[in-house]
Amino acid sequence: MNKKQVSIALGTICLLLSMGICIQLKTVDNSIASVARTQAENELRDSVLKWKENYDNAETKLEYKEAELEKIRNQVASSDESSTQISEQLAQNNSLLGYTDLTGSGVVITAADGDYSAAKGLAAQYIVHDGDLVALVNALKNAGAEAISINGQRIVNTTAITCVGNTVMINGERVGSPFIINAIGNPERLYGQITMPESYYDKMKTDGVDVKIEKVNSIDVPKYTGLYNFEYAQAVE
Amino acid sequence: MVYISIIIGCIIGAIIGLNSPIIPYTYSSYLAIAIIAALDTVFGGIASVIKGNFDLKIFLTGFFGNAILSILLTYLGNRLNVDIYLAAIIVFVGRMFTNLAIIRRYYVEKWSKKLDSLAESKKNKAEAKNK
Repeated sequence: MNKKQVSIALGTICLLLSMGICIQLKTVDNSIASVARTQAENELRDSVLKWKENYDNAETKLEYKEAELEKIRNQVASSDESSTQISEQLAQNNSLLGYTDLTGSGVVITAADGDYSAAKGLAAQYIVHDGDLVALVNALKNAGAEAISINGQRIVNTTAITCVGNTVMINGERVGSPFIINAIGNPERLYGQITMPESYYDKMKTDGVDVKIEKVNSIDVPKYTGLYNFEYAQAVE
Repeated sequence: MVYISIIIGCIIGAIIGLNSPIIPYTYSSYLAIAIIAALDTVFGGIASVIKGNFDLKIFLTGFFGNAILSILLTYLGNRLNVDIYLAAIIVFVGRMFTNLAIIRRYYVEKWSKKLDSLAESKKNKAEAKNK
């Protein structure tokens, strides 16, 4: 038997083998393999991943299109005097609706689940609930916050903060502890009202929730990525 | 020569594998069984090289035949809800151990012969000195 032929054959097979092993390792690392048992589950997992990818693709496409639209608007505005006013109004409305990224001075509230092992009493007391977030957002609005976001989710008119199992859903997206609430407004006033004695923030603190507030000179609040959809409501003539 | 080519193949394969995209999770069980089949073929190949009856045709058909058959069996098992791939794994791994035993025996014998001859030559030298 030709020795060269043997080594080429074995080498090629080893190449295929180690390639397969590497791909397999990467695949297993990439998926949470410990719970997957059946074919149906695997297929579900695949389709979830596929939808996620579709969603991401659609979002990047949307961003691109929005930028294009903005460019066209600017072009029109620069060519026409009356449309300058309209576009200014449009920009103002967009920022009111939450369709623009905003920045300014304000406060950052960080609320994380408390350490239960060190705590006494009910476990539910040390966890940040959807209601806690609603109360904090309410207090911030009452203190004159102009724009609020929680973990990157902009709080707009139609935003719902609900409980889904062990996480919280905001704008249809799951967010989990720690919750970082960015609020733009007068830092002194926001800070003062939130940390007032007997306030909700104060109650959370005494309950054992790991909650902090900080005044900041510059903070970003991202734009709302969803859509407003009026299906039943109509303007009264 | 054979071992050098195996190592080179492994390294190149690892580089390609690390830079290639991942496959859908559904198919990872098929790839896993194909990997086991390939491992079996490699050990079988080394053992047959040692025994001196390596045949390229048998080696290649064994590789592809085993891989394809085991993938088909896994698919069938998935459809029938029977873990047939376990049977394939048992056969392949069992054979792997047999082939590994052949390889081990060959090298242990070779080295022990070498050690014996070394010891003997030392003894001879010592005797020659004594005389």
